[in-house]
Amino acid sequence: MHTPNVPDDAGFSRRSFFKGASVAAIAGTSASAATATDHAPVTRRRPGLHEITLQINGDARKLQVEPRTTLLDALRDRLDLTGTKKVCDRGACGGCTVHLDGEAVNACMMLALDAEGRDVRTIEGVGTADDLHPLQRSFIECDALQCGFCTPGMIMSGIACLNAGKTASRGEIAGCLSGNICRCGTYTRVVDAVEQAAKVTGAKRGGGR
Amino acid sequence: MSAPRPPRDKHEMSVGFAGDHKVLSVEIADGDIVPWDLNTEHRVIGTDTSRVDAVAKVTGRARYAFDVNPPGLLHGVLVRSTIARGKIKSIDFSAAERAAGVVAALRTKENGHRVRFVGDDVAAIAAETIDQARDAALLVKVEYEAEDHNTDFRKAEGAPQVDAAGHITDPWPESAPIEAALGAAKATVDATYRCEVQTHSALESHGVVAWFKEDAGELEVWASTQAVGITQQAFAQATKLPQSKVRVHAEFVGGGFGAKFPPGSEGLYAVRLSMASKRPVKLMLDRFEEHTCAGNRPSAIIQVRAAADEAGKLLAWDYRGFGGPGHAGQGGGTSWPTYYVEHLPRELRRARHKDLATDTDAGRAMRAPGRPQGFFAAEGALDELARKLGMDPLALRLANDGSPLRQHEWKLGAERFGWKERYNPDPGQPRDESKPWLLQGAGLSSAVWGQLGGGNYKVTCRIHHDGTVEVRNASQDIGTGLKTALAMLVAEELGIDLARVKATTGDSLDPAGPASGGSTTTPSVAPAARLAAARAKAKLIERVAKSLGIEAGALTYEHGQFRLDGQRKMSFVDACRRIGPEPIEEQGERFPNYKPYQDHVCGCQFADVEVDARTGVVRVRRMLAVQDCGLVVARKLAESQVLGALTQGISYALHEQRVLDHRIGRMLNGDLSTYKVAGTVDVPELEAIMVSVANGANNVGAAGLGEPPATAPAAAIHNAVANALGVPVRSLPITPDKVLAALAGKDTSRKNSKKQGD
Repeated sequence: MHTPNVPDDAGFSRRSFFKGASVAAIAGTSASAATATDHAPVTRRRPGLHEITLQINGDARKLQVEPRTTLLDALRDRLDLTGTKKVCDRGACGGCTVHLDGEAVNACMMLALDAEGRDVRTIEGVGTADDLHPLQRSFIECDALQCGFCTPGMIMSGIACLNAGKTASRGEIAGCLSGNICRCGTYTRVVDAVEQAAKVTGAKRGGGR
Repeated sequence: MSAPRPPRDKHEMSVGFAGDHKVLSVEIADGDIVPWDLNTEHRVIGTDTSRVDAVAKVTGRARYAFDVNPPGLLHGVLVRSTIARGKIKSIDFSAAERAAGVVAALRTKENGHRVRFVGDDVAAIAAETIDQARDAALLVKVEYEAEDHNTDFRKAEGAPQVDAAGHITDPWPESAPIEAALGAAKATVDATYRCEVQTHSALESHGVVAWFKEDAGELEVWASTQAVGITQQAFAQATKLPQSKVRVHAEFVGGGFGAKFPPGSEGLYAVRLSMASKRPVKLMLDRFEEHTCAGNRPSAIIQVRAAADEAGKLLAWDYRGFGGPGHAGQGGGTSWPTYYVEHLPRELRRARHKDLATDTDAGRAMRAPGRPQGFFAAEGALDELARKLGMDPLALRLANDGSPLRQHEWKLGAERFGWKERYNPDPGQPRDESKPWLLQGAGLSSAVWGQLGGGNYKVTCRIHHDGTVEVRNASQDIGTGLKTALAMLVAEELGIDLARVKATTGDSLDPAGPASGGSTTTPSVAPAARLAAARAKAKLIERVAKSLGIEAGALTYEHGQFRLDGQRKMSFVDACRRIGPEPIEEQGERFPNYKPYQDHVCGCQFADVEVDARTGVVRVRRMLAVQDCGLVVARKLAESQVLGALTQGISYALHEQRVLDHRIGRMLNGDLSTYKVAGTVDVPELEAIMVSVANGANNVGAAGLGEPPATAPAAAIHNAVANALGVPVRSLPITPDKVLAALAGKDTSRKNSKKQGD
């Protein structure tokens, strides 16, 4: 029998488990990209289903997850938000990039529980066919996609790059997107697309949506 | 007695390319339309239109198989062998079946059946969530009767003897003419080249969502596949369901690169789990499985002996390759640019191949199967000959390449790339004296592929009352741009805006299309698409004339405009309003190819690299590809496919290799952190120059681009590194350790030769 929403002292966050496996766990420090659990207080939960509410693309979404359920699986399997792709499931490819309080994070590397109270934005919340984000438009114009499976993650990382104003050179853009793998080999055109969108948006911090 | 056949329409076509025009006379097949040629003025074809499904992809609305979530969906996983070779003694499901969320569990192999590699399927589980399915899979107890295994193809039965430097020392089969030519030549080479296993690493893994609907006796499957047709047939055969009751969807496919033709065990057991549970089941491989159970480009060892005269003209060619295609024991063949030796009599050119079986996952086709390996070796050997002759490698190619088209491309590419400035005339010497550790060099390679499509495929074209148009074929768009090409062909033929045309691919209900392999998809369906549109256009003219109460001959139709008596105008949309409630629906079929200007495509590539001699790190600074593909249908997309091949080639040349622990037969880097795929920062400025060729092969004359540009990049990069270092590495991927060893070897041989007073 599982009792929802009862914290206890059993359990790990996925992030802390991975950290602990490689280095001695040093709370709250990481040289890599920002992740939610870097600043979230440690919450301990029982195994079994927990009802949580996530703020996704501006909507409050209620769902049931296990403590181990990643944000990625919650988005895709519970909420049918499948624009966020599952590729490596280990934070190595950027295919599942979403924005958490405006920062690009890998949704496979955080637990759904840890996303509670945070503002999550997925590709579905970026633009629609009738109202595309400038970066989505430049991806289309530059043909910065082939099979398209990496594209949502690329665009989420690209928007974070634009918002951070890290677009002074092609090298800076490439560095910003270096966590996103594309197997079809669209990189040069992805950089073209971010460069073009930077011109359109003025690439000021917060200049994108 | 049949009536005498009327003489066929003889048509004269202007074919070739900018540098070479010819006139071909063809008999147009009954029912076909006149092929486009050099004189055709296109309005849509060849333009920089955008991918028609790009909006769906950039907004995340495109649903790939991985994204299909029918109600009541279960998640499937396969239990996989932990040993590389042996037999199954027993499988115990008792704990797994009791695990939370488990709905179905089944064997994929009986007791006594063999497992052939670490990762071979043994059992399958379906559960309510993916985590529960994985938990249960860990509880399946499998007992094996293990046997000794070998996962190293260099130690396989039949493997050649090699010396400490990796050079094959086995005697060659006797050939007096070749030995004589080698003995008398001004320059000879005898070198062995080595390639590692590359995994396809498509971002969408292999797998399906399978939904057996018991009441209707129907199976509906969403598959990540390069072959809707093969998949439908395989599922019907496996389930004994009528094929008419099996429907396969593949509207979007997240890459394939040759590894996704028939549904593997992941597809088959998703179907079986669905039949067992009577619920839809999603079974997509995880990343480790994708690396270890879903195919790869086989490893190879290739030895080339060749001889040339002082002008660089080849005098003899002797090539032998050994491939490592895993447990399949076949399919590891390599191929090389044969056109360089076409001028030689048969007894002076020889090629052999042998596959070496190991207890590893089976190799599969991967973009230009066998060519990146063979071109790396052959083009590498040509550069070694050029170095011995003190000759520019480009000049050596021009001396041996009999293709007028590639001669044109070599010259065009060399000029645009800046070959003269980039090629290091003093190999191994730094360009900048102030940075003596930075070595720079340039290399090149030819490209080729021989496919202009065929098959008996049909395409449907529908014109609706509201002026929208559909084009449909069951073949799948795996990122190559098939939907875009179909829509452009129809828009061109009808003389209308591309935005009016909706292309649908990847649904087995539609007319059968080819598997996406061998660069055959576009050339196979394009002529049928154009013909379908031409027939629909004829019907439209007929119906409009009828609605006006005039003869069809009194109407002219051009560029989407009707003209009546050469005067009154009517737009395409206004005309469509007159077609009545039933849409116009026509099919076009694919006629066999006519004798073309040229039955293959050519290309050449150039690479500029910088090597840090202190660290051994190679950086590609620039690459350029010149590529023809018959008629260039969608220019921007064609360029993308070429740029993608360059990018994958950089990755293959410098980074990718499957690393096995041979003691346990398991892949050590089965993820995307330690199996390095090139990223944004590894890829320099790339350029693709498309050369349009009217080949006259059919009414369109397009060729595919999956394979052609994938043949050459690793060869060009390897040659560029050799030019930078002054010594060839002869092994892919060119990792820093190999670069440093090559530099050390060069120093050693220099010292040795000094000792010998050379």
